[in-house]
Amino acid sequence: MTEKKFYEIGQRPSEVILHPAGDAPLHRRRLPFTRRHWFKWRSRLNAKTLEQERMLADKRPLWWALGLLALALAAPFLSNPMLTIAAIFCIFSAINVLWTLIIGTAGIFSLATLAIVGIGAYVSAALNVYLGLPWPLMFVAGGLAGLVIGGFLALPSTRLDGLYYALLTMGFAEICRVFVQQLKPLGPQNGSINNVASFIPSDWQLQRPGLLLGFAGAFVILLLALLTFRVVNSERLGMLLQTAREDEAFAEATGIDYRRARLHVFLISSAGLGVIGAFYAQFYGSISPQVFSLDQLMLLFAMIVIGGLGRSEGAVIGTAIVVLIDKGFLNLGPIRILLVAAIMLGVTLFLHNGLAGAREQFRGWRRRKQSEARARRTEKGGEVMPEEAIEIADKQEIYYRRFQKRLRDRLKALITPELIEEHRQNPLGHHSDALSRVLNHFRRAEVADKYAIMRQPEAFHAYKIVAFSGTRGAPPRLVDDRTYHDINEAYHAVFLLRVNDLMEA
Amino acid sequence: MDIFVTLVHGLNLAAIYGLMAIGISLLWSSIGMINMAHGATFAVSGYAAWFMADLMKPVLLAAFGKGFVGTAAMAGITLTTGAAMGALFGALIYALAFLPIHDKPNFPVRSLIVTLAINLATVQLLLWYFGPKQKNLPKIFGTGKLDLGPLSARYDQIGAIVATAAILGLVLTWLRVSRKGLEIRAMMQNPEGAVLSGISVRWTALPVTMLTGALAGLAAVLLSQTIFVSPTSGTMPLIKGLTIALLGGLGSVPGAVAGAVIIGFLEAIVGAVPFLGQRYVLFATFVFIITVLILRPRGIGGLLDEARK
Repeated sequence: MTEKKFYEIGQRPSEVILHPAGDAPLHRRRLPFTRRHWFKWRSRLNAKTLEQERMLADKRPLWWALGLLALALAAPFLSNPMLTIAAIFCIFSAINVLWTLIIGTAGIFSLATLAIVGIGAYVSAALNVYLGLPWPLMFVAGGLAGLVIGGFLALPSTRLDGLYYALLTMGFAEICRVFVQQLKPLGPQNGSINNVASFIPSDWQLQRPGLLLGFAGAFVILLLALLTFRVVNSERLGMLLQTAREDEAFAEATGIDYRRARLHVFLISSAGLGVIGAFYAQFYGSISPQVFSLDQLMLLFAMIVIGGLGRSEGAVIGTAIVVLIDKGFLNLGPIRILLVAAIMLGVTLFLHNGLAGAREQFRGWRRRKQSEARARRTEKGGEVMPEEAIEIADKQEIYYRRFQKRLRDRLKALITPELIEEHRQNPLGHHSDALSRVLNHFRRAEVADKYAIMRQPEAFHAYKIVAFSGTRGAPPRLVDDRTYHDINEAYHAVFLLRVNDLMEA
Repeated sequence: MDIFVTLVHGLNLAAIYGLMAIGISLLWSSIGMINMAHGATFAVSGYAAWFMADLMKPVLLAAFGKGFVGTAAMAGITLTTGAAMGALFGALIYALAFLPIHDKPNFPVRSLIVTLAINLATVQLLLWYFGPKQKNLPKIFGTGKLDLGPLSARYDQIGAIVATAAILGLVLTWLRVSRKGLEIRAMMQNPEGAVLSGISVRWTALPVTMLTGALAGLAAVLLSQTIFVSPTSGTMPLIKGLTIALLGGLGSVPGAVAGAVIIGFLEAIVGAVPFLGQRYVLFATFVFIITVLILRPRGIGGLLDEARK
């Protein structure tokens, strides 16, 4: 059987579409231990080809897998500085993904993210250096520290709103910085803890294998953060909070304790941030009060803002851009920060929700423009345009309208002053070929709004022009008030009205 | 520790923080924008005043000499330059952070981000152009001390306190009596109602941003009598102003004044207590603010929490 080639119409002519056998049952594999499917497939029957079609409705998992795979595969071929930048990118992305969970999913405007990371790092590093805790247990210690601090910070979060809570958490970070700098035992090192044990063997430090191992560790941390985001954001907790975001009162009325759900999300993220803190201390082998500083926090905020608040892909994209500029172009000096600020400014002024929301915003804009253009065209011609064609179910209608359009165009060319004069002199015939064609077209018109002559009751030769309503039982409407005393005159008046309508159509 | 020295120091701090906090508070309550570029306005005005003072110094010396008249002329020029530059920068913030996005979705968050970006960029530009070296402004109130019985205060402290009181008085009177002030107050009470009764958001927002910018510029000149002008000199006043505005309850001018006085005295006292000292000032401030916010979640004044959310 030969495939018939159709014109490529519609929004996405190049979209990959699978054609499974029509009678094959749909098999979708599930993620182990959950009821989720790996991919979001959509099936439909193409009414024209009568074929079963299957397409990927949500391609984001694909892009994620491709991007992460590319990063992992490219890492061994990167130079040493670039490898460090990639590792830093992974760590900051992980932090930002968890922060997105707090700001986006839980809706708590917390600025204590880096403070929690720092506390996790300090607690685990101190336990390691002063009490000899082995490095694998540092992650547990960091996580626990994050959990405790998160619990402490979460208490006022339901009482305060937005900015007040942001201020409180900013104050908390400042207090942490001052506290650490004032600690007596850390005085000689200016508040930092050095020589922290690491998952990187000490003789590999700053060597190629050590850097590779560091990157691998950071990559795993990023994957774990993304997994946490996925599990929290799109499973039960995230769904509950989604309801609360749309309508808090409704959520409460249906028995959703959204405050509790927010606290849970906050605690989970804080524990995760604590673990990242322990990793941070191990990765650098030291931790300094710089982690609590406001500048660092602002840079981190710039990252999630450029990417788009509340979306994991936004957090990662924003981090990639800012880390690349900040660490990649060190020789540019202070212009780096200017560049970051300029990107921030441009993104915020032109995009509603960061780079991750750009696609959606562009689609909305394109849809608006398309519908405007379509409205313009439909108003003008009457012929159906390709974009509109896919929305008309009865394809006969398209050809009918196209035929009518061409016919009208042909007839318009026939209308001349001589033709009108011919009709005026002799409305009922014999007509020339051109006039017969025009009149035949008029006779075939639809009943709705068709003109007719109505004899008036007051005199025998008194006529007025009416137009039919087109619906049974509804009386015709009067077209104008003029009364004609000659039937031929009335015929010609109707003809002129129709010619007028034709020329305007 | 001398209680009177602490008292004067506290009042001095309160005056300068009050200028910053009221600017932030006014801007929030009238047009719903958190201005993170207030610190940049501060730094830029400081530099403009320094530049102008440097430029005019020989001229003024030649014209008025070193006496009282010369100092007064210098004071006039630095204060005017600071305020004018602040107002100009306020207009820039209006053009970048308010005008293009004030009717778009997520305006509060987006304007906050834009002003933050302006702040970052300005600080870096200043650092790039002028270098990290600190500049000092001429002592516009002269140097010396005034002794009134047990009270003793430096001229710059007295000058800052008196000037701030005068400026705040003027601004509040202007808000109360003038036509524009009426419009601004209408905007603060009910933005939608104000628009419905024919008050233009755009033409009300411009004077507000310029006014708050001018306040920041004056604060810069006044504070630079005590500290130096540097690219990052705006950061601390911004944080202080923001915290005080929030402590007083965003949008409440009396709350901001109360907050400024409380924080000013708190800092002076903590700085003067021997075993705490200057290093714990910020620590103590934040502990205090956190306590207040937990007790009163909308700050001390907190009156407009329903109107602006």
